[in-house]
Amino acid sequence: MLEISDNPATSANDDPITSDPRQFSAKVNAWMPHEIMLTDAWFPLAHSFAVDKKPVRRAVYSQPFYLWRGSDGQVIAAENHPNDTLAGAKSEYTDESGHYPVLEKYGYVWGWLGTPENAAPEHVPSIPYLPEDGGLPLHMLGTVRFDCCAPLSLENLIDLTHADFIHADVVGDEKMDSETVEVFHDSETITMVRTCVNKSVAPIMKMFGGVRDDVQQVRQVIRIYLRSHAAIAYGRFSPGDNVQLFHPCVPETRDRTRLDYAMNTSNVKKSNLFRYIMPKASYKVSRQDSSMTSPQSPRYMRPEKRKDLHSPLDEAGQKYRVLMTALAERQARGDFAYRDDVSADCSDIIGYEKA
Amino acid sequence: MSEAIWWAVARSEEISAEKPFNVDIGDQPIVLWRETDGTVRALEDRCPHRRAPLSLGCILGSGAIQCGYHGWTFDGESGQLVDIPNLKSERKYPPVYKAKPFGVHESAGFVRICLDAKAPPPADDGYALPLSGTSTVALEHGQYIAALFDDPSLLISIKGVRFSPYLLAELCEQEGQLVMERSCQWASPHWPAPFTSDFPISLRIATDPVTGESDLTLRDDEFNLLLQATLAPVPGARQVTQVRWRAMLSPERPGLAAKAMGLGAPLRVHDHIDGAALRVLKPSASIHADDLREKIAARTDQQDEVA
Ligand code: FES
Ligand SMILES: [Fe+2]
Repeated sequence: MLEISDNPATSANDDPITSDPRQFSAKVNAWMPHEIMLTDAWFPLAHSFAVDKKPVRRAVYSQPFYLWRGSDGQVIAAENHPNDTLAGAKSEYTDESGHYPVLEKYGYVWGWLGTPENAAPEHVPSIPYLPEDGGLPLHMLGTVRFDCCAPLSLENLIDLTHADFIHADVVGDEKMDSETVEVFHDSETITMVRTCVNKSVAPIMKMFGGVRDDVQQVRQVIRIYLRSHAAIAYGRFSPGDNVQLFHPCVPETRDRTRLDYAMNTSNVKKSNLFRYIMPKASYKVSRQDSSMTSPQSPRYMRPEKRKDLHSPLDEAGQKYRVLMTALAERQARGDFAYRDDVSADCSDIIGYEKA
Repeated sequence: MSEAIWWAVARSEEISAEKPFNVDIGDQPIVLWRETDGTVRALEDRCPHRRAPLSLGCILGSGAIQCGYHGWTFDGESGQLVDIPNLKSERKYPPVYKAKPFGVHESAGFVRICLDAKAPPPADDGYALPLSGTSTVALEHGQYIAALFDDPSLLISIKGVRFSPYLLAELCEQEGQLVMERSCQWASPHWPAPFTSDFPISLRIATDPVTGESDLTLRDDEFNLLLQATLAPVPGARQVTQVRWRAMLSPERPGLAAKAMGLGAPLRVHDHIDGAALRVLKPSASIHADDLREKIAARTDQQDEVA
């Protein structure tokens, strides 16, 4: 039987995840993911290696970001293409030369969408298992796109029961002895920890990871940095190797999502194929997710009278909805302050075992 | 769209116990499948959990349908949620935990759906005509039927037959159906239709005023039946029309041209429509159809008031 334990944030005095269950479910069911637009956030727009002399174009909520490196190697993020001599008025998101705040960390180019003066490096999310100055080999990096809105993609990610069905051929099916889900949150993050006892071994670990057993103990963590639309997906498997995935979902437009992922498999033995195959599994897994999230997305575009139905397994997803909505509401009231620190090392929260 | 209408959304052959099948009636997506005993089931093609299409799921041995996203499993008759596999419990779910069920009726090789699950089933239609097919056409349902009345050659081809613009009987109402009869020629060289005294064949079309489901009967001038067919157009998403059809060629067909109908497919229902020809198609019978439908509707309203 499923057990759910809740660890509500203690610090915030106006925690949107109220103790009143009716208010909570009203918020869950008023979910309008396409209407959410969060600013004053760093978005991981590109892998560092993908940005060079020639400008590449990225977007956040259709707002253009042209990224290139100046002669000193520093990244420039501009609203207009440097060759666009007729460029018109600029938005409130850039300085007088049309440049956004930009920085590089963890092997990504992060662009700030919001009031430029508020851009501060301490709002870059903590990703314990990515080297701060990047440099992961290319086979651990990749790009996939989702034909759906970014919050739906993240709601999909934080709900792991779906993996037992649509990713069964990669990560194993729903057969196990028991499962526990724990959810932690603050005003800027939500973290879900799923512990499975004697779960069917992930086929990809059987095939390429050298795992011989039929069942394994699994502890999976999904931690979402709400504003940046970026997630950590950290899995501990025994027997098996830990999986260390950074999974941003940049809302390039409201119904299309860009995922420049980094799967750090340097913890896996060099002789183990899993080290090279696992990062590539993202191509397959993302298509499987897309098969559901793509038809889902338009069904969340308009207000819907019929409420979604929920099971106790949906706790994390429901809380994600409420937290995102609360942040959007706060921003609509003109409050863009970070009440919680997103860059503080979260190793303990996610239970990261340093190799 | 009134609720108690039975739409022929599929041919019997299209529905299996192996793979769910998706159709729509207007903007209402529907998933169809067969239980192991052959019963056809229909639910809204939208999982009430996270709105994924149920047609992407699978059919379990029990006959229930399982959503492919998180495995929620629904009973086909009631739409009731019967299992959430990850919960590993034998619990019963509250009655609101259900997908929307629709009425289903299968007869004569067609699967018909009524959006009102409680509607009384329609009468059985006899036997299934052996030839059948499905076409999806980028033309709105009402326009499709109008074109069928005004010039069927834009929508269908009958082997060796040329439809003429001349009607033997203009569209009228017979027993609640819209019926017309059109003169036809064999496609061999002959005197042009405007100068022809008598035509060798005729096509009778009897159409349901609401669904547009049409029975086609092709006879020669000695009243021998050559071909019969049923054409079932159903409005689909984005205003396309999904057409299911069944047909049978008569075994006895006197005359060379009629015999030649047996070589190859006797009936083809087009997937593509010549837009240029359609644009300039002169409306005639279709205008009468509108009048007749109004008359029929007014009469039904009166009857409803009396009842
Ligand atoms: S959407 Fe169908 S089970 Fe979750
Ligand atoms: Fe997934």
